[in-house]
Amino acid sequence: MRKFWLVFVNEYKRHVLRKRFLFAILSMPLFVAFLVLVGFMSVWVQSNQTPVGYIAPAGMLDNAHPVPEEEDQVFHTVQFIRYVDEAAAQADLQTQKIQAYYVISPDYIDTGDVRLIKSQKSGQNIGEDFIEFLQYNLLSDKPEKVVTRILDGANLIVRSTDGTREMSVDNWMVVMLPLLAGVLFIIAVNISGGYLLQAVVEEKENRTMEIIVTSVSPSQLMAGKVIGDLLVGLTELAVWLLFIVLAAQFAPNWLPIGQSIHIDGSSLLLIVAIYLPAFVFIAAAMGAAGATATEAREAQQVGGLFTLPIVLPFWFITAIMFDPNGAIATWLSIIPLTAPIAMPLRAVFTSVPVWQTALTIVLLNLCAVGMVLLAGRIFRIGMLRYGKRVSFKEIFSKQPTTAGQK
Amino acid sequence: MASIIVDHISKSFGTLKAVNDVSFEVQPGEIFGLLGPNGAGKTTAIRIILDIFKPDSGTVNILGGKMDEQKKNRIGYLPEERGLYQDIPLDRCLSYLASLKGLDTATSNKRIDEYLERFDLASAKKKKVKELSKGMQQKAQLITTLVHQPELIIIDEPFSALDPVNTQMVKDLLREQREQGKTIIMCTHQMHQVEELCDRLVLIDQGKALLYGSLTDVRKKFAKPSVFITTGDKLPDPIKGVGSVEKVNGDLLLHLINGTEPNDVLKTLVSKGVGLDRFEIALPTLDEIFIEVVKKQEGSR
Repeated sequence: MRKFWLVFVNEYKRHVLRKRFLFAILSMPLFVAFLVLVGFMSVWVQSNQTPVGYIAPAGMLDNAHPVPEEEDQVFHTVQFIRYVDEAAAQADLQTQKIQAYYVISPDYIDTGDVRLIKSQKSGQNIGEDFIEFLQYNLLSDKPEKVVTRILDGANLIVRSTDGTREMSVDNWMVVMLPLLAGVLFIIAVNISGGYLLQAVVEEKENRTMEIIVTSVSPSQLMAGKVIGDLLVGLTELAVWLLFIVLAAQFAPNWLPIGQSIHIDGSSLLLIVAIYLPAFVFIAAAMGAAGATATEAREAQQVGGLFTLPIVLPFWFITAIMFDPNGAIATWLSIIPLTAPIAMPLRAVFTSVPVWQTALTIVLLNLCAVGMVLLAGRIFRIGMLRYGKRVSFKEIFSKQPTTAGQK
Repeated sequence: MASIIVDHISKSFGTLKAVNDVSFEVQPGEIFGLLGPNGAGKTTAIRIILDIFKPDSGTVNILGGKMDEQKKNRIGYLPEERGLYQDIPLDRCLSYLASLKGLDTATSNKRIDEYLERFDLASAKKKKVKELSKGMQQKAQLITTLVHQPELIIIDEPFSALDPVNTQMVKDLLREQREQGKTIIMCTHQMHQVEELCDRLVLIDQGKALLYGSLTDVRKKFAKPSVFITTGDKLPDPIKGVGSVEKVNGDLLLHLINGTEPNDVLKTLVSKGVGLDRFEIALPTLDEIFIEVVKKQEGSR
C-alpha cells in the first residue's frame, strides 16, 4: 500500500512541478481573460459617449429624464438633448457637440417612425440607449414598479408536471450547469487521460518498466498512476474554478455566474454520480491505449478516439432539448460513453425514469471497474513490449504470459 | 538453503522455445554466472526468476519460497534494457527508485550521496538524466541496483558501456558485495569477466542448459591432455609421453599422448635436468569451452 502512495505522489508531483504544468494551468484563465478583454475593447471602441440630440413632437417627452443608471454599470448611457427644430440640431451636429440626432415622427404613437441623422463617428451604443430612453419617458406617468416590469419583461417559469424540476429566465443556470459541467468534464478527462496515457508510454520509452515491476506490483503501479493523474486533471479544474470564483467575486455583474444562481441539489448529485465512474472509465481506457501503443504519438492518436463519443451528445443537443424522451436522447443517456453529457442535460428537460438513471449509473460503474481491470491486464502484457503492439488476441487470451495474470 | 532454485523451467513465445527445461541452483554468497550467446534465453530465464514472466512449466524458489512483494525489497536488479527517468534530475530519479525498494528518504539520500561520490557522479547530481553520458547512466543504474543493500543481486551485462577504469571499479564492487555475503547472479556473454569473477556457472544456448557447475570443474572437464612449461633449457627430443611441442606466446605447450599423466612428464623433465620456471596443466579458457560447446550443440542439430 505504501508503494501505491509513492507511485501516486511521484506521478502527481512529476506533472505538477513541471513548468509546462504552470503554463497549462494559467493558459486557460489568461485566454478567457483575453477574450473578455477583447470583447470589452470592441464594445468600447464602437461606443461613443458624445451626447445625442432628439426632436420630439409637442407634448411628447416634455419633461424627459435620463434613464437611471445602475450602480456598477460599466458603460454609461449616452446623454440625450432636446432640440426645438432640426436646424439647431444640424448646427450642433456640424460642430460635433452631438454625434447624432433622432427626429421622432409626429405620428410616432401610430407608426413608430423615427429618423436618425448621424455623423460618421457615431457610436453603436446610441440606438439601444435611445429606445430605452424613449420607453422610460413614455411610461413616466405609470408607477415605477410597472415601468420596471414592462422594461424587464416577465420571468417565465417552466415547471415539470411532477414539480421536481423548474427552470426560469432568472434561473437559466439549470440549463447551463450540465452544459458547463459537460465541457469541464471533457476537458478534465482529456487532461487526466492524456497524462495517464503519457505516463504509461513514458515508462516504456524510458525502459524503466523492468525496474519498476521488480519493485512494485503492476496493480499498485497502475492504481497509483490512475489516481495521481486524475488528481492532476482535477487540480487544473480546481484552479480554473478558483479563477471563476475570484472573477465572480470581483466583477459580479460582468459575469453571469455571479448573478443569483439556484442550482438544484439533485442535478448536482446526478452529475457527480455519473461523472465519477465515467471519469475512471475513460481515463482507464486511455491508460489501456497507452499500454498497447509503442510510442507517445501513436498513443495520443488512439486516446483522441475516446473524445469523439463523449462530445457526440452536443451534436444532438436539439434532439435532447425538444424530444428528451425520444429514442436518440434516451439511448445517448444510457450508452456509457455518451451518458456523461447526455444524461444530465436530458434530466433538465424531462423527468427521466428512475430505472433509466439507475441503469446508466450501474452501467458506468461496471464499465469503470471492467476497464481498470482490462487496462491492468493490457499493461501487464504490454509492459515489456518495445516496438510491438499488443494484439486483441493476446488481451483476451486465457494463457498467462506475464506476471500477475493468473 | 540455496538462494535460488530453478527447477525445470520452460517458456515459449509463440513457436519460439526461449527457455527449455532449465534447472540450476544459486548458493548464498557466491557470484553465479548465467552465460550464453545473444538470444540464448538468459534474459527470459532472469525474468522468470524475478516473476516478470510466468513459466509455462517448472518452478522457481527464490529466497526461500515464491516471489512476493516483500521479497522485491531484498533483490537488486540491473536489467539488460537500461532505463531511468530521462526528464528529471538524477538525484530525484535515484531517490524515487530507492523509495520503491522500501528505503526511507534520509537513508536513501545518505546512501545515494555516498554512491554518487564513489562513482564520480556527485557533480551530475542535479543534472537531468538525459544529459548524462551512457557510461554515467550505467553507473547511476548500478546505484539503483545496490542502494537498498539487497541480499540478492541480479545483473544483466553489467560491463556494457563501461570503459576499462569503470569496468575495474564495478568488478571490485561486485567482489566487495560477495565478501559482504551477498548472492550475485551475473548474466553475460563476456567469458573473461566470468572467469575473473564467478564461482559457478550455467551455460545456456538455444534455451537449454549445456554446462553447469563450478568454474574449476567445468574447465577441468574440458581440459585437453597438454601442459604449459616455461624453461630456458633445451628440451630433450623425444620426451616420453609427449606427442608434439608448440610455441605459444614464448611458452611451450606440450601435447600429451593419450594415457600419459602430466606428473609422468614432469618427472621425465626433472630427471633429464630441464630447469622449469613454470609447469602448468593447460586448462582451456571459458571462451574456448563456450565456442566448443556451442559448436557441438549446433552440429548435433
